[in-house]
Amino acid sequence: MYQDRTLRFSRQTILPQVGPEGQERLAGSRAVIVGLGSLGSLSAQLLARAGLRDLVLVDRDIVEIHNLPRQILYTEADADQGRPKALAARERLAHIDSELALTAHVTDLDADNIEQLLAGADVVVDATDNFETRYLINDWALLTEVPWVYGGVIGTEGLCLLVVPRRTPCLRCLFPQPPASTDLPSCETAGVWTPTASVVASLQVAAALRTLMGVEPTRTLAVVNGWTGEVRQMETPAPSDDCPACGRGEYAWLRVEREARVRPGCQHQTLRVRPAGVPTGDGLDLAGLARRLEPLVEVRAVNVYLLKFEADGCELTLFRDGRALVRGTEDLARARGLYDRYVGS
Amino acid sequence: MPELEIRLFASLRELAGAETIRVSLDRDATAADLLAKAGLLYPDLASALRSVVVAVDRRIVAPSDPVPPLSEVAFLPPVSGG
Repeated sequence: MYQDRTLRFSRQTILPQVGPEGQERLAGSRAVIVGLGSLGSLSAQLLARAGLRDLVLVDRDIVEIHNLPRQILYTEADADQGRPKALAARERLAHIDSELALTAHVTDLDADNIEQLLAGADVVVDATDNFETRYLINDWALLTEVPWVYGGVIGTEGLCLLVVPRRTPCLRCLFPQPPASTDLPSCETAGVWTPTASVVASLQVAAALRTLMGVEPTRTLAVVNGWTGEVRQMETPAPSDDCPACGRGEYAWLRVEREARVRPGCQHQTLRVRPAGVPTGDGLDLAGLARRLEPLVEVRAVNVYLLKFEADGCELTLFRDGRALVRGTEDLARARGLYDRYVGS
Repeated sequence: MPELEIRLFASLRELAGAETIRVSLDRDATAADLLAKAGLLYPDLASALRSVVVAVDRRIVAPSDPVPPLSEVAFLPPVSGG
């Protein structure tokens, strides 16, 4: 009976705003969710239940115990095993709709892989935790003319903005330059109120579904206070001719310095390091490396996709293609040194 | 000189330790003028004010747009967490 798609979505298609035509559009759509923390796990579940054709999940991190109060797809077992969020999410979502195509990528979205990971997206839902990735998504979306939905949450407040290229203002129309990371509190320092994340994710999904169904976009920035229950819709201006991205077509984040081995990462005190040589096609033997490193470092998680360990006061997350995130320093040489010492140059 | 009450959101409120700030302005002031003056009056906010949007009567305005006296003004910083 569960395979009867008409019955399954009957309470949704009966809505005059959706109808069978709207549901049919959803059934032919692909959404990509970038980031599977609080916003991403909420959005992923709502989208998985909405009747899309396929969902692509991208996240670089593993499940940890402090994620569980707000990242609704994960369990204590996921945290105990340090499972990659993308894989745990895919498994949970597969139980919701067996006909939904699901693809999981355990990696960090960057200028090198964005074309591949977002290929074929009809809409992109931003659930990242940093502005570097959001500006990258913004550039890609403008170039390919794919709508995306920005969502951000901190403390008890959050924002949601639908970007439909050249019809609504893009992220850089509103925020032309990324804020300094030191001006931005993170979820680690300022906390997150789960109901706020839930409201923001719901607004993002509503915007994504309306867009997929071909509904004319509204030009608004939603400002959410999940503590008081206040949601303010601020009217946004038309896309700006002065905007470096959608006005002048300068996609700076898609053209980041690809040769640099070490460059600033997406969060305060996080650096990205790439291998000195050509990345190996087969991927690194992370389990083997973990065994060799165990006497020297504190291994926090290891699986076929990533190896996370602490060494010399920093946390390194190594992906199987050889790229790594080094957390706990802003010193490029130190990050490169740690990489070369423990991973090899 | 009219004085405006500006509502602060998210990290700005934490930095200022207040829900609102008050800034006096010339009658023909723009949103950019308002941000500059607020940065001088509240140095703790100065750095963060470089990347906020200004809403006047619930409309996001450009830096060159005027801020009429008696308008409802809010400073909205980007929100990064996810």
